[in-house]
Amino acid sequence: MNLLNNYFLNSAFFAQTDAGTALPTAVSQVVDQAAPIQAWTNSMLVPIVLGAVAYLLIQHGVVKSKAYFAGGAVAALLAVGFALGFTPGTFESYVLMSFCAVATGGGIGFLTAREPVYAALGFATAVLSVCGVLFMQSALFIAAATMIVYAGATIIIFLFVLMFAQQTELRTYDVQLNNPLVATAIGAILLATITMCVTENNAILPVRVDSTRVMSAASLPDSLSSEAGKEASKKLDAIDPNLRYVPKLTAGLGRSMYTDYLLAVELAGTVLLVATIGAIALAQRTTETQS
Amino acid sequence: MNETTQNLLVFGGVLFVIGMVGFLTRRSLILMFLSLEMMLSGVSVNLIAFSRHHQNYQGQILAVMVLTIAACEAAIALALVVSLYRRKATLDVAAWDDLSETLIPKVIESPQTLEEPAMEFPKLTPAGLDPLSRPISADFDAQSMENGESVKANTLEAGTHA
Repeated sequence: MNLLNNYFLNSAFFAQTDAGTALPTAVSQVVDQAAPIQAWTNSMLVPIVLGAVAYLLIQHGVVKSKAYFAGGAVAALLAVGFALGFTPGTFESYVLMSFCAVATGGGIGFLTAREPVYAALGFATAVLSVCGVLFMQSALFIAAATMIVYAGATIIIFLFVLMFAQQTELRTYDVQLNNPLVATAIGAILLATITMCVTENNAILPVRVDSTRVMSAASLPDSLSSEAGKEASKKLDAIDPNLRYVPKLTAGLGRSMYTDYLLAVELAGTVLLVATIGAIALAQRTTETQS
Repeated sequence: MNETTQNLLVFGGVLFVIGMVGFLTRRSLILMFLSLEMMLSGVSVNLIAFSRHHQNYQGQILAVMVLTIAACEAAIALALVVSLYRRKATLDVAAWDDLSETLIPKVIESPQTLEEPAMEFPKLTPAGLDPLSRPISADFDAQSMENGESVKANTLEAGTHA
């Protein structure tokens, strides 16, 4: 029970992600029994269908009339309310849920806005909220990198191209959508299927830490690692047993990346280089033949 | 913490579906690629949720790789979009339909525009003769009316004034 308390204390905001402080399987099972997954009920279809209706109404109302828009907003609020009915109610989960809701709202704005710049702003909103979600899931490096790469670089470059290619007035291909009914139906079916799979019994395996296997050189469990690792963990234990539960998030990620996944990092660098060369070659202005 | 994982998986699915619907409905090349990025961020949420669930770094590292590939894809896609735009001066994806099979019949689209304000015409007071209530007789002589001699024309004018 003491271990469980430690776990809850340290995972209040930043969860420990270091597998070196691996929780025994028994503890994770206790946690799972305390918080079982939500089973599928047919009423989960209600928020999905409401969300689809909201999207259709809003995308129609943006062009046509404000009444449709208001109806779509009401449907979206109802969908959010229904979806909240299926989720537990702790403060942390509410913060997380609000990030998720803002991201979904940004996504709806991205889908429905007819001006491309507004659509890009909706996308930026969604991505920034996703960064908040990632931050709360203790993926600090990914959150920062996403913020810099997506919300910084990618959005800016997209906006540059948009400004370069966009005329002042809206074109037909901006205003008119391609078969929104069919696309929404496909999306709703896909989302319902995803939800069904996730809420299935045993969909999320209860064993979250496999302490029998060394996942990573960065995890360094004291039984299997080098002498230095054992020494370090003993020293930490001598100072304070709780210290071993202090997350070493980004450092551990870096260690794991440059030890276990070194080849993948090299390959990613190669892909980046090839993509740079390709982008320069593609964007080059074809020179006119000089006479 | 299982519920959080579950909720985040559903949230990742929502983002993925939003991206997919955007990709299917949007017709501008740039917004289609933005939809792709949205789908990728949904996948990232999924990976991070599992990374936290299993308390290891594998999901996070895969998310870093997804981010890298997404950056590469954005760079190449934008270069392609710019070079396509230089050829046809449009971002419409339908402009490149002739690259696909020609057997598929083209969808005839009804033109759809932004809202047009309804026209309001000014209301004028009625003037002159009403040909319905007082039909002009067949022997009406316009020539005599110009001279001002016709009694018939005088009575007609008086009728309109009254």
